[in-house]
Amino acid sequence: MSSECLLPKPTHISILKNPYYDHHTTDRSTMKSVVVLHCFLGFILLLSHLNSVYSWKKEEFRNCNQTPFCKRARSRKPQHCNLIATDVIIADGDLTAKLITPKENPHEEDSSSNPLILSLSVYENGILRMKIDEDPSQNPPKKRFEVPDVIVPEFESKKLWLQRYTKQVIHGDSADSFVVYLFDGYEAVLRSDPLEVFVREQTSGKRVLSFNSHGLFDFEQLRVKKEGDDWEERFRSHTDSRPYGPQSISFDMSFYGADFVYGIPEHATSLTLKPTKGPGIEESEPYRLFNLDVFEYIHESPFGLYGSIPFMLSHGRTRGTSGFFWLNAAEMQIDVLGSGWDAESSIMLPSDQNRIDTLWMSEAGIVDTFFFIGPKPKDVVKQYASVTGTSAMPQLFATGYHQCRWNYRDEEDVKNVDSKFDEHDIPYDVLWLDIEHTDGKRYFTWDKVLFPNPEEMQKDLASRGRRMVTIVDPHIKRDENYHIHKEASKNGYYVKDASGKDYDGWCWPGSSSYIDMVNPEIRSWWADKFAYTQYLGSTPSLYIWNDMNEPSVFNGPEVTMPRDALHYGNIEHRELHNAYGYYFHMATSDGLLKREGGNDRPFVLSRAFFPGTQRYGTVWTGDNTATWEQLRVSVPMILTLGLTGITFSGADVGGFFGNPDTELLVRWYQVAAYLPFFRGHAHHDTKRREPWLFGEHNTELMRDAIRVRYTLLPYFYTLFREANVSGVPVTRPLWMEFPDDEATFNNDEAFMVGNGLLVQGVYTEHAKDATVYLPKDHTWYDLRSGTAYKGGKMQKIEASDAIPVFQRSGTIIPRKDRFRRSTVQMENDPYTLVIAVNSLGEAEGELYIDDGKSYEFKKGAYIHRRFIFSDGKLTSVNLATSASEGTNFLSDCTIERIILLGHSSKPKSAQIEPSNHAAEVELGPLQIQSGARSSVLTIRKPNVRVSDDWSIKLL
Amino acid sequence: MKIHTQSFLLFVFSSMLVLRSAVVLSENIIGVAPQDEEYYKGLSSSGTIKCKDGSKTFTKTQLNDDFCDCSDGTDEPGTSACPTGKFYCRNAGHTPLSIFSSRVNDGICDCCDGSDEYNGKIKCKNTCWEAGKVARDRLRKKIETFQEGVTIRKHDVEQAKLLVAKDEAELSRLKNEENILKGLVQQLKERKEQIEKAEEKERIQKEKEEKQKKEAEEATVKEQKGEEKVNVQEQESKGSNSEDDGKIHDHPPLGQDLNKGPADPGVSLAHDDDDDDDDDDDKDASVDNIEQHAEKNEESSKVAHEHDPSPGPGSKEEDASENAESLSREELGRAIGSRWTGKKAEQQQDEDAGTARNNDDNEDDETSDNAHEEEDSGYDTETEEDHQHHEEDDTEDHMDDVGGDEADDDSSEHKYESDDEMDMSDMEDTSNPSWLVKIQQTVRKFLQAVNPFQTPVDTSESESVRKEYDDASGKLSKIQSRISSLTKKLGHDFGSEKEFYSLYGRCFEIKENKYVYKVCPFKEASQVEGHSTTHLGHWDKFDESYRVMLFSSGDKCWNGPYRSLTVRLRCGSKVEVSDIDEPSRCEYAALLTTPALCLEGRLKSHDHHGKGTRR
Repeated sequence: MSSECLLPKPTHISILKNPYYDHHTTDRSTMKSVVVLHCFLGFILLLSHLNSVYSWKKEEFRNCNQTPFCKRARSRKPQHCNLIATDVIIADGDLTAKLITPKENPHEEDSSSNPLILSLSVYENGILRMKIDEDPSQNPPKKRFEVPDVIVPEFESKKLWLQRYTKQVIHGDSADSFVVYLFDGYEAVLRSDPLEVFVREQTSGKRVLSFNSHGLFDFEQLRVKKEGDDWEERFRSHTDSRPYGPQSISFDMSFYGADFVYGIPEHATSLTLKPTKGPGIEESEPYRLFNLDVFEYIHESPFGLYGSIPFMLSHGRTRGTSGFFWLNAAEMQIDVLGSGWDAESSIMLPSDQNRIDTLWMSEAGIVDTFFFIGPKPKDVVKQYASVTGTSAMPQLFATGYHQCRWNYRDEEDVKNVDSKFDEHDIPYDVLWLDIEHTDGKRYFTWDKVLFPNPEEMQKDLASRGRRMVTIVDPHIKRDENYHIHKEASKNGYYVKDASGKDYDGWCWPGSSSYIDMVNPEIRSWWADKFAYTQYLGSTPSLYIWNDMNEPSVFNGPEVTMPRDALHYGNIEHRELHNAYGYYFHMATSDGLLKREGGNDRPFVLSRAFFPGTQRYGTVWTGDNTATWEQLRVSVPMILTLGLTGITFSGADVGGFFGNPDTELLVRWYQVAAYLPFFRGHAHHDTKRREPWLFGEHNTELMRDAIRVRYTLLPYFYTLFREANVSGVPVTRPLWMEFPDDEATFNNDEAFMVGNGLLVQGVYTEHAKDATVYLPKDHTWYDLRSGTAYKGGKMQKIEASDAIPVFQRSGTIIPRKDRFRRSTVQMENDPYTLVIAVNSLGEAEGELYIDDGKSYEFKKGAYIHRRFIFSDGKLTSVNLATSASEGTNFLSDCTIERIILLGHSSKPKSAQIEPSNHAAEVELGPLQIQSGARSSVLTIRKPNVRVSDDWSIKLL
Repeated sequence: MKIHTQSFLLFVFSSMLVLRSAVVLSENIIGVAPQDEEYYKGLSSSGTIKCKDGSKTFTKTQLNDDFCDCSDGTDEPGTSACPTGKFYCRNAGHTPLSIFSSRVNDGICDCCDGSDEYNGKIKCKNTCWEAGKVARDRLRKKIETFQEGVTIRKHDVEQAKLLVAKDEAELSRLKNEENILKGLVQQLKERKEQIEKAEEKERIQKEKEEKQKKEAEEATVKEQKGEEKVNVQEQESKGSNSEDDGKIHDHPPLGQDLNKGPADPGVSLAHDDDDDDDDDDDKDASVDNIEQHAEKNEESSKVAHEHDPSPGPGSKEEDASENAESLSREELGRAIGSRWTGKKAEQQQDEDAGTARNNDDNEDDETSDNAHEEEDSGYDTETEEDHQHHEEDDTEDHMDDVGGDEADDDSSEHKYESDDEMDMSDMEDTSNPSWLVKIQQTVRKFLQAVNPFQTPVDTSESESVRKEYDDASGKLSKIQSRISSLTKKLGHDFGSEKEFYSLYGRCFEIKENKYVYKVCPFKEASQVEGHSTTHLGHWDKFDESYRVMLFSSGDKCWNGPYRSLTVRLRCGSKVEVSDIDEPSRCEYAALLTTPALCLEGRLKSHDHHGKGTRR
């Protein structure tokens, strides 16, 4: 990144060459290109530039050097921090201390600073929470912002009340360190001078995670403005008044025994986070966490995108996995420091452990951090989920295929697209309408000409089991005749500008204001807007899409809201920026919950996200581009989201901007079919790209990809339930399943769906085959042919018509092989079980079923089975806890086919108990398709019910 | 037609009877098409048969046992077990249907007889009779239309043959005339030149004499010499003035030039400059204005991009010089000056409403690319104020303007080649052979009568020669232009039987919301909204063996392709455009019914199909 001068330029002409922005008044056939961006003097339009190749405009966004707190923090040298911990006590089950600057060596900058309060709390399952804030008894000018509504309420109940600490002298320190219990075999240590907080293994004493081991901790305390203080910050044409002055926080965090670090979405980068600073690293930016509507983001950049989750994981072969989460909603910048970055400092750290150091910098807020000890990958995600929640259980329909485009123009268009799916026998579940369906970008309204009968349209779709999704964004058109605006302005529900007036920005509808969703009362008001009586033209089959909720403000600094805008409770926008979209998403989701009396699971797709978003809905990776690189990067982006709690995520299939080559589109469908959220979407300047538009052969390939997804829905749904219970994501990086196989640690072109399927994408043109690494100690069965491959090496797999997918030995995967129009019609279809035995001839798998839409499952109305295959016998075991009275979920579904892969003997029949009948065993195809060869052992029509206990013994 | 209907109903009744007997077959035969019944009979006789794809054999008990044994679905014609299978609904009273096996027992009634939903989860009404009736009526109408269309088509084809022959005859005649006329014009030209030479000679002679006379006078009046010098100077200065005029006429493309020119700051200039819009905004950034601005900007960007591909050098230049010719010097000065000053143009508008209207017309022209250029005498004095005027004016005003311009727009069809038509009428008298004879005689007479060597030249005769020459060469150029338009016309592909000939020179329109779409086969297609026209494409070609018309290379879309229109053709007794749509950005689609597509062979198949439903 080149560093640009911080000084404002003499002329500020901001041009967003963004067709997405430009078409806010897009109409069905006249081209409406509007470039909207203004400096304070007015609007500048330079249309002559518009035809040039457009791409990410990095100069429109601040880099670290243009961001004073980042620049300051980044330039600090190790051992900058001279705070020490004093007054260490146990209070209310916490270990607390005061952090002070020793008198004899007053720091030149902070000589007048007040003590800070540090507290350490311990929670079940190996979680250490560390908070550092200003001392309220010292009456700081303003209470610093702590993000509410993110930590789940149950978390507090998991707190372990500390009773005692032990003192210990570490590394010959002059002062004591204080040691408290954390988890079996783990301790938390507060080292008072030099200040360090770390987690260590009890017996070996090896560090796991450490805070401030390099002394980079810095906490800018709020102070009263003195004469001559210039707190304003300028960027391009924008001025941030910064009435509270500098208040940033930064510190270093070390991950021991780490080979790689992962997480901190959202960035379009590799799964493993490359170092951003250190020897041999050219000018590079830190990973930025600042929710931004970045036009045409590039596929390899540490720049901030639509959402932010300040949660990092580390993994190493010897130590395992650790995690660190900083709950803070202000702009954050994170450096991953390359090894040797601290060579010049004299710090002595244990050198027998691999270590990755990181530098965390935030503009505001407090230190509220969580250390997760792991040690297994799934432990860490579970620990994180216990703080921020697991992902919501989606409705079954939402796990199917979604068809979107900006825009399906009118009711006839909708009808046509819908009927084409049937004509081509391609299943899909949801048809989406983008902004043009509204009356002038007034959300909750319909364009009267294009959509005169929205209810009828939805009912027609629903008659074939299909849903519709409409878009609702947070910017509200400032139009006195628009009821939302009228109420919001009357009730003072808008975010205010620095002067206290309703903030007036520019987005699709033109001049707009933004609902202040931080206020629970306003969220509740907003939620009511989704009632059928309020959102006219909505029906129970209509769900919602929240876009632009970073928030995107076309004429704001960095296309977002000014940092000095004010929210409810006198919170500055800078303090909660990254959570704005989260609150909006939350309110919308609550709205869908409310409209059906709380028993219909909401479906809300959001572009912006924050820790906790997983509880409210789905996210996607925003406005990507139709290139092979973007297909490639979508996989690590989605895997990273899964690692950091948001498992229900996806990327626009085909790429939003631009026209994908047919081959790219097909490959995109093939990969995306295995990713959690599966939606085709396209910019309105692009050609139509519905799956039937590219010739019969390509239609077949895309249909095939979508159908495979549908056959696997029972498996996906079971995995969504697993994620809902535990926080373990549906799609996982290989290392999560194979934490001891080093070859998997930085593999992000293949991924696991659950523990059973390995998917290798194809990301290049004209590929006839693909090379795939199959993890060691397992046999892998090709999903299509059943061919067995040995793990532990690279395999070259034929891939001209499909991407390589394998079932791992030792797993059982449930499928529904009958093809239907949508998930609704699949409800009563019978199952197929595919058993891939391991070297011991054993396999296991699960199946979870419920009504697919309500919350009855929370009362026990579900079926959860474990299938265990061992000694030639398949047994179905109940995993469900007994349901409360009257809430049983019943299903007549049976198992019509059981396929055995890797079974050595050749049985002729199978004996089924307790019904005491026999089923034939024969050779059948693995996948039923025309011309399929019969080659795998198949138990024909066992016809046992999925809800029952039974066993099937091969004879 | 009556006979058709009657036999039709008869068939329907008999088909119901046939069905009753078909039901007697085994119930496992559900979903089997009649032509396959024979195949499944093998099960009763031999016990097992092969799947159609030969992948396996299956037994009678495996037929429709809800388990897929044949990967091609042949053992499960009546269930959803095989993904690739097809289910046959008999649909008595309506058309039989083969549906995807995925539709069987999925809770949605797909067959009108409800036979695809037999597991009792839902009950489907048998709607075949009603649906069949509707379908039959539709089919009957379709057949009627088709028959009508076939007749019209036959007529059109015959007519086209005649007309093409006529055109060809005219063309060859015109070529012949052109030859003759060329000769005459040449002769007249020579004669004219001779006369002019003689006149020149005479003039020089005269001048000489006059000079001598003058010299004589000069000698006598010596003191007046100085004064005369002044006169000469005056004459000279006059001459240079007219040269200046010429330069103004030759001014390069005005709008473009002015944009780049050293403009007065703060003064808005030519309409298709983007910068001027900004100035506009700086003046007033209120919401409404911005909105307006947004739209306006779109328009102007449209305009701007029109010039993108190849700005057609010279066309504007011509306009300007034409303008200059039709304007007084003062008007021209104002018009050009107004590009810098803006204000004065407004005054001028007030003073001269006619000019203002012309300006309005001109905007249409701007956006419609070449569409009207042939008809309109181009006029390129668009100013910022004019634009403002458009923005702020009541739409009614525009409607008036537009209405006045395109009076016949309301009709859904009109002829476009008004130039062609005019030529035709003009040619009507030229095509009278007596005319040619007459002119030949006249010329001969002249050539005989006028003696170029006669001095002094007979002025009345030289006038006549000149007039004759002008007439003849005027007529020649008309003939030539007619020849070129005829050649162009005959160069088009009118279909294998020239069945599309009758569409030549016609335009078809459809109103869709606020737009009027115009489709002019062999010429162009456009979308008109109020006063602005967007060019959707030039005539490209027929495609898919005359089932599709392609119009391509229309106005460029911002950040997108050049607009194009695909017109799908369908048989109809009338030529009508319908179903205009924009499935992808700037790629339009429409439907055009025309008798040209009503092929007799297709009618037969329809007839056959009609009968098929009765079985």
